[in-house]
Amino acid sequence: MSAGRPAVPGRNAFVYRPTASPQAAAQWTRRQVVMTNLRTVAGRAYPRVTGLFREKSWVFFEILLPFLSTSAFVFVYRALQAPPQYIGFVVLGGAMTAFWLNVIWMMAQQLWWEKSQGNLELYFAAPMNIMAVLFGMAFGGFVMSSTRATAVLIISTAIYGVTFSIDQWALLIGVFFLTLAALYGLGMLLASLFLMWGREAWHLTQLLVEPVYFVSGLNFPIARLGVLGSVAISILPLAVGLDAMRQLAFAGAAYPIGTPSPLIEAAILVVMVVVFLVLSRWALAMLERLARKEGRLSVRWQ
Amino acid sequence: MSGSSEPLAIDVRGIRRVYKVKPKPVVALDGVDLAVEPGEFFGLLGPNGAGKTTLIKILTTLLLPSEGEARIFGFDVQRQTRQIRRIMNMVAGGEQSGYGILTVREQLWMFSQFYGLPSRDGWNRVDELIDAVGLDEQRQQRVSTLSTGQRQKMNFARGLLNDPWIFFLDEPTLGLDVSAARSVRELVLAWKAAVPGRTILLTTHYMAEADELCDRIAIVDHGRILALGTPDELKRRVQRESVFRIELDRLEGGVGALRRLRGVVSATLAAGDQADGQAERQTVEVNLALVDDAALGEVVGALGGLGAQILALRKFEPSLEDVFVELVGRGFDDEPAHTGDEPRSDPDDREPLAPQTETTDSREREEEVVA
Amino acid sequence: MTATEHEGLGSPRWGGFDPARTRGRGWIDLRRTFAVATRLGWQMEANWTDPILFFIYSVAKPLASALILVVMLDVISGGAKPEYRAFVVVGSALWAFVLSGVSGLAWTILDDRERYRMLKYVYVSPSEFLAVLLGRGVARIGVGAVGAAITLVVGVVILGVPFDPARIDWPLLVPVLALGLAAVLAIGLMLASICLQTRQESWSYPEAAAGALFLVSGVVFPLAVLPGPVQALSLVTPMTWWVEGVRRALFPGGITAVGGPGALFTQLTGLAGPTPAQIVGALLVTGAVATLAAVVAFRTSDRRAKDRGLLDQTTGS
Repeated sequence: MSAGRPAVPGRNAFVYRPTASPQAAAQWTRRQVVMTNLRTVAGRAYPRVTGLFREKSWVFFEILLPFLSTSAFVFVYRALQAPPQYIGFVVLGGAMTAFWLNVIWMMAQQLWWEKSQGNLELYFAAPMNIMAVLFGMAFGGFVMSSTRATAVLIISTAIYGVTFSIDQWALLIGVFFLTLAALYGLGMLLASLFLMWGREAWHLTQLLVEPVYFVSGLNFPIARLGVLGSVAISILPLAVGLDAMRQLAFAGAAYPIGTPSPLIEAAILVVMVVVFLVLSRWALAMLERLARKEGRLSVRWQ
Repeated sequence: MSGSSEPLAIDVRGIRRVYKVKPKPVVALDGVDLAVEPGEFFGLLGPNGAGKTTLIKILTTLLLPSEGEARIFGFDVQRQTRQIRRIMNMVAGGEQSGYGILTVREQLWMFSQFYGLPSRDGWNRVDELIDAVGLDEQRQQRVSTLSTGQRQKMNFARGLLNDPWIFFLDEPTLGLDVSAARSVRELVLAWKAAVPGRTILLTTHYMAEADELCDRIAIVDHGRILALGTPDELKRRVQRESVFRIELDRLEGGVGALRRLRGVVSATLAAGDQADGQAERQTVEVNLALVDDAALGEVVGALGGLGAQILALRKFEPSLEDVFVELVGRGFDDEPAHTGDEPRSDPDDREPLAPQTETTDSREREEEVVA
Repeated sequence: MTATEHEGLGSPRWGGFDPARTRGRGWIDLRRTFAVATRLGWQMEANWTDPILFFIYSVAKPLASALILVVMLDVISGGAKPEYRAFVVVGSALWAFVLSGVSGLAWTILDDRERYRMLKYVYVSPSEFLAVLLGRGVARIGVGAVGAAITLVVGVVILGVPFDPARIDWPLLVPVLALGLAAVLAIGLMLASICLQTRQESWSYPEAAAGALFLVSGVVFPLAVLPGPVQALSLVTPMTWWVEGVRRALFPGGITAVGGPGALFTQLTGLAGPTPAQIVGALLVTGAVATLAAVVAFRTSDRRAKDRGLLDQTTGS
């Protein structure tokens, strides 16, 4: 990034790319639409990524402290003298928490937050698709989340002696990225819903922390939840992705039966990705129209 | 539609917008019709709560009208939002938007990406605009540390990133000091002048701003357009004659002598010249209403014939607020502002229009004439 | 009027300015500020209190936390250790209270600065800012207390936690609750001081901090499981003694988190578990230290915030 150049002599800054008419300027090619949305993703990710380097308190709060939280559950299993793979389950769950928290704190309620700051109007008045903005937020947040997840995984594995046994690397990596895709798809769907719910979005985000941890089996195999676990697997990306990753990362370890095989769970994730993305696109369009109808794109102390 | 084959820049027909709030719905716009030609600098002037911002939000595709339709260069604001967003931009006064952690340059670049500018082009364009708006010293400064005026200049630069065909300015000088406000107005005019055909819709409650900048103005109140025309046309509604105050050393024959002069509609002694118990005055001040400015020459000549020496001459021009008072029967500040949460008064309860009279509250424009 | 008051600001010409206005009324103002802030905090929290949202904060969240631990326990022991179930349910319920207190003050700062943009106005008012903060925090603690109570009730009624109201140790419970409240507010104040310096994304910091405290406070497992140095840290943490005291007072005869085989406390004192007097004493001392640290942290943060113009900044990415 250059430090910035002064104006070119003789060039009128108020004339950029004149077009023949407003009608010509309004008609974009498909390529222009796609490139604008891709550039929007990069543009919106930029403040997130830049912020990481400009305000570094997150290193302590987003890495060290989550490691300590994960450690608490490790010690619960140690106190119960649980088999060693359970330590691994908790560590993997603790790592994936980072992505879930990113989805609910940095995506789901972000549009509502943008409205409070006055940015939402500017986004909707611009020609890009709002989904591109959300993708940008997701991508920017992914940098912090993956750092957190990696740190928790590595530190915990080293300190608590977790042993992974992986036979199917490709499937494991595939499941991981599918889980992320499904998570962020769900985040987009929640973002559109939260846009309409206003201030309650803040409180509803709270509902998505511990209760989701519980039904997703963050610290224990989800098979133990019986029917509830089955329901969770079919609707919560965190639940199905985590279960699949545990089965793949600790292959050969004693694992409670009752959940689908990793391949089937990967297929479930694919369906989730498609469903969430389609639903979020529809929901964003519908809710934008509703927000425009009710005047909710501007702050009205909701 | 305009007379030519080109669609109007702004074509509003029967727009109505009702907000469903408690205790009772608020009618923010009540049947507005508007036609703005391409290349016009159009102003919406009215007090707080008149409906200006609501109209601009409808035109910038942020709000749907309850009834009616509106088009921007032929594109429907309800169904062709994408096309409109590609050719317009908006800047509002008092904006606090932006990401405090970014520098001015980065903030603007980010928005350039939203408008599809290639990355490198975006940086170049941002640098250009930063210089053009006079923020070169703040280029690498964080947005959270900008002053109000600097932030507004940054917002203005953001508004120009995509070279819009139509620029919506919603009270752009709100909260700015005199110098910053003047800067913004100069920027607006310079931008408009750079390419013919650029259209601006400005909303404001600053009369002087509307008077200075706009080709045509619509005066709005309670969601309706009360009057529409050029600033001069609007002022002539209030005062068709040219009104002067003349200070003379003496006046033989009193004001009656002046009334008989050709071109004089009326002549009255200024209020201060009535007996007021003060010490003897050596001069006479007279309010003169003439048919037009051209009649002044003859009056001045006649005064010389009467042996009177002109000590001072001032012209009274009505302000746009005088126009508003004339239309509505109250000033901009004479009634609490109606917000979206307050119920409005019933339009039928409004005071009737005051008859056209000379007004001594008119804004004065001093033109000293030395005899 | 005195001779001085005939001139200058005190004179009738100036409207009779009363210099006493600049002196304030000491404790009266402080008490009033605290009461108003508490009421404001409650109104803000109660603003959303319809059944669904009450359910979220007072039932779903704390109950889910407890159930996570109950299932973890059952996964390993198959329900064979009911005393452990009581241990984790009580600890988890109490932690909901701690979390609300710890996050309450921090979120007040972030709410007022970023969302409502009122922080600077509150700050420049004559009210003591610390009192405002504490008042707002107390309101959130009230919400957390409701959640804790509901979780305990569910634990007793549904999860089989043995409880006998006649056996409650009131002489232990009352001082522990009072001292614990002060300690929770102190920790919350420390976090609030940090949030005054950080940017918008620090919404998650309070929960992260509470999660870390969760590790060292003997909430859901005996401290004996932790390494020695970490146990030492636990023993100087006021929350350890608070959880131990409330647990012992409400459920006498249960498992102790502080003492036991392998516990540092037992090694140092030779006792199987702390006595009520030791619990109260330790809570008093550690709470006092935490309070002192919190006040110092807050004053430092306050000064730095004024120095850097952070009180009216809005951040965000």
